[in-house]
Amino acid sequence: MTSQVVRIGSLELKNPVLTASGTFGYGLEYADFYDIAELGGICTKGLSLLPRSGNPPDRVCETPAGMLNAIGLANIGVEAFCAEKLPALQARGVTVIANIFATGAQEFAMLAQRLDQEPGVCALELNVSCPNVKSGGIQFGMNPELCGELTRAVRTVTSKPVWVKMSPEAPDVVAVARACEAAGAEAITAINTIRGMAIDPRTMSVRLANRTGGLSGPAIRPIGVRIVWDLVGALRIPVVGIGGIATANDALEYLLAGARAVQVGTANFADPAAAYRVAAGIRQYCGERGLSVEQIIGRARPDPGSGSPS
Amino acid sequence: MNRPARPPDPHTAPRRQYVTAPLVQSTRIGEDYRIMSFDVADAIAARPGQFLMIRGANWGAAPLLARPMSYLAGGPEPSILIRVVGEGTTRMACARPGDTFHLLGPLGNGWQPPLPHRRPLLVAGGVGVAPLLFLARALSEQGVRAVVAYGGRTDQDLPLCDELGHIADLHLSTEDGSRGTRGLVTELVEPLLGPDTQVCTCGPEPMMAKVAGLCAAHDVPCEASLETAMACGFGVCLGCAVPTGDADYLYACVDGPCVDARRVDWSRTGRTAPASAARRSPSS
Repeated sequence: MTSQVVRIGSLELKNPVLTASGTFGYGLEYADFYDIAELGGICTKGLSLLPRSGNPPDRVCETPAGMLNAIGLANIGVEAFCAEKLPALQARGVTVIANIFATGAQEFAMLAQRLDQEPGVCALELNVSCPNVKSGGIQFGMNPELCGELTRAVRTVTSKPVWVKMSPEAPDVVAVARACEAAGAEAITAINTIRGMAIDPRTMSVRLANRTGGLSGPAIRPIGVRIVWDLVGALRIPVVGIGGIATANDALEYLLAGARAVQVGTANFADPAAAYRVAAGIRQYCGERGLSVEQIIGRARPDPGSGSPS
Repeated sequence: MNRPARPPDPHTAPRRQYVTAPLVQSTRIGEDYRIMSFDVADAIAARPGQFLMIRGANWGAAPLLARPMSYLAGGPEPSILIRVVGEGTTRMACARPGDTFHLLGPLGNGWQPPLPHRRPLLVAGGVGVAPLLFLARALSEQGVRAVVAYGGRTDQDLPLCDELGHIADLHLSTEDGSRGTRGLVTELVEPLLGPDTQVCTCGPEPMMAKVAGLCAAHDVPCEASLETAMACGFGVCLGCAVPTGDADYLYACVDGPCVDARRVDWSRTGRTAPASAARRSPSS
């Protein structure tokens, strides 16, 4: 079998398939369907210092080849995660990337400090791109300076790898990512959802109580692939590709564009075994061609050196 | 498609399964309703009140999400009752025996076991009859004949009422008077409430809100089967939030779908309620 191992900065993953924050709960919800330790890793539901109950309903609606969500970062809080979820994940040997969310740099740093003490957490992913909360979230992700400062604030209080998750709505995503790279980010995740809206003609009202929600699913994949392509060409640090991946072929688009790993998101809802199937499909693709995953990363680029570890 | 490998889990036995199953039979009831049954072989059997997520194996990227449906029957050949309303259910209605579907279930908690010394009164609206007919059958097998109040817009919206009539004392209503009493099913409920009644209800949200209010006023226990938009069905997407009295939320998929009606803040439910509020104050 060809090697499926990839390195994301200092972190080694057994394969390039992760699950996206907000679509995989705290991981254990999927243990009925397959051995979640067989994935490259999981990104947790966005964790905040205190539990959050989220937005009023309706929170989700289906759209063409996609869905809108405005969950509002409902989560059990970092302490409950560390006490109730993390030990079980560790016991199973799951590579855990803790996705964290806060309303300011200081709070982000407090979260990072707290998780720095947890050996079961392998990396931190900063959510600076949530479109569904009033403060924090996307305001950081739109602005290179703010995002760089935030990354630095977290970087200085943790020894764990810091990943930053990009909003596709930033006026210049490359500039935001470069600022994070300069501030010590080990990897860039792209993309988060894109704000959208849906209205029900029958009731003459907006479908989501929050009015707008984040669009995800296959509908956004071409946008994700394009942004990942641009980021890989501009950065020295690894890029983790996400956006509309439901099959191995979808994931391969990102890997061939130069992403060093991928995250499966919305597909986990419709098919609880989606991420497992994506990993198996990539393995098969590599096997049929006698190539390791490393050998296919960035292969579609005219400059195939991009996306290699620096 | 093969079932994914699922190594035995030393901590918990699987509570639900994700299987690919052929449609065995699709029975048409009028224009808008179908009963669909599937061969799930040795999959976990559902209890009354539980639900499944269903998606056609050939749907591709759209419709994207699986549809939550209450079980009409459990066992190795479970069935569901669908009302054809949108893209997903239209596709389901067109399916032929042998077509394959992905089924995830059983999900949710089902109806609570009947309380001792209580008479079950089941209140159904339209397609909401499915989990209540499943319950009525289970009660009938235990020698309990339930009382059922069942309403629909017209006589076309009372699917399976004859089946229900065989095993329960049935009270029907239609809004146009084409069958049973003219009016809303909730108008049938109050005279049927006694000090020893317990109510299980499933139907449109305004109907369940009204039933919950009547039960609270008569100090009668009431369980409601909640229906909301949801993406996953097992507590991950957090899309199916239902407001509770303590200004928090419960999740219809894992805390329900059957919940003590007193837990729900019925004044804040309703798919259109928050949107209408938003429309009234466009500057908020």
